[in-house]
Amino acid sequence: MANGFSGPVAQIVDNYLARLKKGLRGFSAKDQEELVKEIHSHIYESFRNDPTENEVDRILKVLDKLGEPANVISARMPEAMVTLGKKKKLPFLILAGLLIAFFGVPLGMSGLSLAVGLIIGVLALVLSFYIVAFSLILTGWLSAVVMIVRIFSPGFLDPWIDIYPLVPDPTLNTVIYIFGALLIAALGFGLLWLGSRLMRGVRFVFRFLFEKIRNWRKRAPAPAPAGLERQQ
Amino acid sequence: MENKITQLRKGILELAILASLSRGRHYGYSLVKTISGDKEIDLTEGTIYPILGRLAKEGLVQSEWVESSQGPPRKYYTLTLKGEEAFRVLEEEFRKLAAIVVNLQSGPVPEDAAEEHQVLSVTKETNNG
Repeated sequence: MANGFSGPVAQIVDNYLARLKKGLRGFSAKDQEELVKEIHSHIYESFRNDPTENEVDRILKVLDKLGEPANVISARMPEAMVTLGKKKKLPFLILAGLLIAFFGVPLGMSGLSLAVGLIIGVLALVLSFYIVAFSLILTGWLSAVVMIVRIFSPGFLDPWIDIYPLVPDPTLNTVIYIFGALLIAALGFGLLWLGSRLMRGVRFVFRFLFEKIRNWRKRAPAPAPAGLERQQ
Repeated sequence: MENKITQLRKGILELAILASLSRGRHYGYSLVKTISGDKEIDLTEGTIYPILGRLAKEGLVQSEWVESSQGPPRKYYTLTLKGEEAFRVLEEEFRKLAAIVVNLQSGPVPEDAAEEHQVLSVTKETNNG
């Protein structure tokens, strides 16, 4: 592409504009051409006015200030993706467009990946957390019951369970094991208590996301500012 | 905190673009330079283009390509009549909001401020009615 630059700088600019163009699929050909031309013009002006001596450093600085291509087109993305989806009859693209409209625009494009990652991560964390907590409680209680049975009927479970003697006195040994088992169960309950705190955090995250969606839906039908004042 | 600053800036950026264009035509890069000036504002320059696109769609700005003596052509933006009207309304609203924040910062609101606010509301209703 003849982009007004030369050498590695031209390649870097080409790469950026190619990524921008890729992100613009779904826009009309005219819109694509206009935006790419405009961003190209911006890069040129910014590069010309930046005092950094090394040209590669300079172009990287210019592109860094400009931001990722996704950010340049994010606010116009949902509409374009829905249009593309209808053209190709791909409901998935319509769904993706709506998802971006709900999460992407208010939070920025990075917000979409953050929101999805956050939800999956939090759900996995909660699930594994409670599995561990309940396992500890179950293990603790079952062990305690087994040990109590051993006190009243010392030989009852010996064919199935081999217990290491911590002290010579078998009754005291069993009591120590009961304490150990109850400690494990208590640890499980401790985790449940911590879980209630964790759930507060989860509720906060979901409330935050729903609030974002609600705010976006409120803003969506906003009339032109000039008309707004007259209606009041 | 960073997110709050970003949200605040996004809200102000649209008004800043309209304010810059109210003083004359601009192309994207010159708008960025005008808005950020020599102040160290952490502005992601690309964010102005979606805003300009939206303003154009709403009929508040119009654009034209102009050949440049140096490099590629520039897309110049100017305010439409509707844009000028929108800017006046938004600027007035912004001044009121900024004044409220400044007043709240500088201390307790004097008692007569509430009365003044009521008088303003009544005047506004009378004007509109």
